Amino acid sequence: MRVVIGEDETLLREGLALVLSREGFEVAALASDGDQLVRAAREHRPELVVTDIRMPPTHTDEGLRAALAIRAELPRTALLVLSQHAQRRYAEQLLGEQAAGVGYLLKQRIGELDLFCADVRRVCAGGTVLDPELVGTLLGRARPDGDPLDALTDRQREVLALMAEGRSNAAIAERLVITEKAVVKHVSNVYDQLGLAPAADDHRRVLAVVRYLSR
Amino acid sequence: MHFLPSVRTTDRARTAPDSRPEGDAGPARTEPAGGSDRATAQPAPAATPRGPAATPRGPAAALRGPTTTPRGPAAALRGPATTPTSGGPASGAPAAASPHRRPRLADRPQLPALAALAGAALLLAAAETALLFDQPAAPWALALFPAAALTWFVAGAVASLRRPSNRMGAIMFAGALAWFAAGLLNAPQPALSAVGSLVALLPLALGAHLLHAFPSGRLRGRASRLIVAGIYVAALVLHAPAWLFMPGGAGAPLQVADRPDLARLGADVQDLVGGGLLLATAGLLALRLRAATPAQRRVLAPLALYGIAAVALVPTLSRLQGPLLGDDPLALFALQATLLGLLPLAFVAAALRGGFAPTAGVRELSAWLGAADSRPAPLRDALAEALGDPSVELALWAGERERWVDGGGRPAALPDPRSGQGVVLVEAEGRRVGAIVYDATLIADAAPVREAAAVIALALDRDRLTAELIASRERLRASRARIAAAADDERRRIARDLHDGVQGRLVVLGLRAGELRRGADARGDEEAMAEADALRRELDATLHALRELVRGVLPAALAERGLGAAAAELADRMPLPTTVAAGDERYPPAVESACWFVIAEALANVVKHAAARSARVTVEPTAGGVRVEVRDDGRGGAATGSAATGSAARGALPHASASPHASASPHASASPHASGSTHAGGRPGDGAPRASGTGLRGLADRIDVVGGRLAIDSPPGGGTRIVAEVPCGS
Repeated sequence: MRVVIGEDETLLREGLALVLSREGFEVAALASDGDQLVRAAREHRPELVVTDIRMPPTHTDEGLRAALAIRAELPRTALLVLSQHAQRRYAEQLLGEQAAGVGYLLKQRIGELDLFCADVRRVCAGGTVLDPELVGTLLGRARPDGDPLDALTDRQREVLALMAEGRSNAAIAERLVITEKAVVKHVSNVYDQLGLAPAADDHRRVLAVVRYLSR
Repeated sequence: MHFLPSVRTTDRARTAPDSRPEGDAGPARTEPAGGSDRATAQPAPAATPRGPAATPRGPAAALRGPTTTPRGPAAALRGPATTPTSGGPASGAPAAASPHRRPRLADRPQLPALAALAGAALLLAAAETALLFDQPAAPWALALFPAAALTWFVAGAVASLRRPSNRMGAIMFAGALAWFAAGLLNAPQPALSAVGSLVALLPLALGAHLLHAFPSGRLRGRASRLIVAGIYVAALVLHAPAWLFMPGGAGAPLQVADRPDLARLGADVQDLVGGGLLLATAGLLALRLRAATPAQRRVLAPLALYGIAAVALVPTLSRLQGPLLGDDPLALFALQATLLGLLPLAFVAAALRGGFAPTAGVRELSAWLGAADSRPAPLRDALAEALGDPSVELALWAGERERWVDGGGRPAALPDPRSGQGVVLVEAEGRRVGAIVYDATLIADAAPVREAAAVIALALDRDRLTAELIASRERLRASRARIAAAADDERRRIARDLHDGVQGRLVVLGLRAGELRRGADARGDEEAMAEADALRRELDATLHALRELVRGVLPAALAERGLGAAAAELADRMPLPTTVAAGDERYPPAVESACWFVIAEALANVVKHAAARSARVTVEPTAGGVRVEVRDDGRGGAATGSAATGSAARGALPHASASPHASASPHASASPHASGSTHAGGRPGDGAPRASGTGLRGLADRIDVVGGRLAIDSPPGGGTRIVAEVPCGS
């Protein structure tokens, strides 16, 4: 698996390259700004692009724009976007119509190496990964009185949050230390209460949930 | 050159029909067209008594005149060049329209004198007419002398009424006298006739003088002075041979010898010199005309056109005399005298069109200053009227900055002295307070300007202080803007340093903690694993705290994606449903910062004080900037505090003291921050001032600094709406 990394801070760029190569990735190119990143992706056709959002020259969102450009040009490239802060608008833009193979994490998640590497692999496999803090923000948004979300039980909210992070039923079961069967039941209840149509794939599920939460 | 032929024609004309007034001089008696014989001593109508070289008596004088004196055209040319008042004078309307214009006849001191003069002029005219026509068969054309004199007198009266201190009036009065005197040439009495022959050409010289001096009344430039002096010499001194050697003028009072050759020679010299000076005059005036602006030309068109016509026609007429008029010197004289005698009428026409705007006089100016409602702009207008110069400008001396400024405190420059504009400094109590910039071509004599300067000094000083105040307020605003911008820059720098430096390093440290954990895991060192985990969690917590800090300093979303994203981020963290309607438009950093502070502070207020069920943030571009609105459906009654600026807090102040929610407010207990809030609604009995409003007040300042306006609409029970409109220009 080839990966191209976009990150303007040298130490972090090297650290990422180390982590990923140790994980079995072939680090095809390192880029330190958006344009370089797009060029490198065109040249190396990597399976995965990992990039920071804020990069030179404008230090705004060129990493995100580069990622979206790469996705438009090479739709099968998996994207993992890293940032110092989690923005709902970024996530919505990134997920777009097609949430498969997309991840959006806070940079600090890199330190949890095992989890991070698992997330990377999930993105590469066509899954979706959203940072827990972002999901927390989504779930925590104030809603008008009588919103169905407020009627969920705590357990149901936990399940909903993990769904939004892009986790599979098995992963949710493992995280909550319950059976997968129990997870399926919770999921189906949540769907009923929120009025969502059941989704076939985990990533479709993420899309539906995030859209619901972003209303 | 074409004058010369005309002169000759003139001479010929003279010679031919001439009749000699003197009784004894037989040849002189010839009578011109139908001229009946006259009393001995009298010149016949065409009556120039002389032979060819003769003194230009009646018509002859007139004929001669044109050649020598650059009347008409000169005047025309002069006019335009002189009134460089831009636009203003064009219509004469500015003065007429100014509200403080008062009937001025009542307090015209010169009026009685003028009336006396007018009486004298009428008497003179009557006397001269009686004198001239007290001879058998006196030609009607002789009446043109008193008529022309009266015309000049009337024009002179108009001029001195309009501008007492201007010398145009004096020149025209002198011209009137000269016409009277020249008319005496044809008087039956030898002594009077002698006087007339001495000054026969003086009216023409004065005409030239008038043209050169218009409109200031003073001769402008060395060339003008030399030409006019030369013309006087040509008209008086070079005219001497005409009466000294008057041919056949045995009876002529001043004749010393009958030398037609010398008289002829003198006339030729006079023609040459006079013609040359006329040419020079025309050239000079043409130059001045070219230097005039279109507006000036328009104003002075009457004088210009008439003058050109006169210059062109007078000599040409004498040349064409034969074919057109027959050999009737009388008709020729009549035409020429009429052309030249009416010259002042062209002046009056120019004056009525504003070329010679009336002056109100300094007395009026001081009366106007005494009026209560005087304002800076009218001061200039009043001064313009007083000086008769619509182009007058006032400059103010900004002492502390050592520079000239205009009424708005903006830097101004005094004109170059060579530009034709004059400058008179205004001092009050020994201090320089300002300057009057006037049109030096219009007002040659600075004395009335200095007089006006003394009168307006105190008023101008007041204007100066006002201008200083305006300027210092502007400087204050600018310095506040600089301070705010510096603070913004500092915030941006801090946020960026945190992001690029500290946050990045902490992430790298977290990565190393992860590596440590892996290593410990590989070694099976549980304790080290726990240590590494704890370390990483600490780092995560620090990063989280840093993120919150950065969010408060200057949110990354604002720098990265602009107001819309930053507003959405704020809204996401609101404890009540908050919607955001905002696009992805970007605005200048200072504007985005200021608007973000408005949104953040307004939302914080909603949370703390409004007891609202929902809030809404709208960010939308406007024609020249951005409009930000934050509204809630809470209880209203917000105030910015007692020092609310004019732009802020419409309708807010009244609610600050009145407390409509004083008791039984359903919201009162719901809001833990009720006391000291910016909302009027409070707990029962809470009479202490609670409208501290520093938050909203600070917002008003912030928006003011970027040139925007903050409006707060917060009726009790009606929710609160805060609107900031900020321009994005420069």
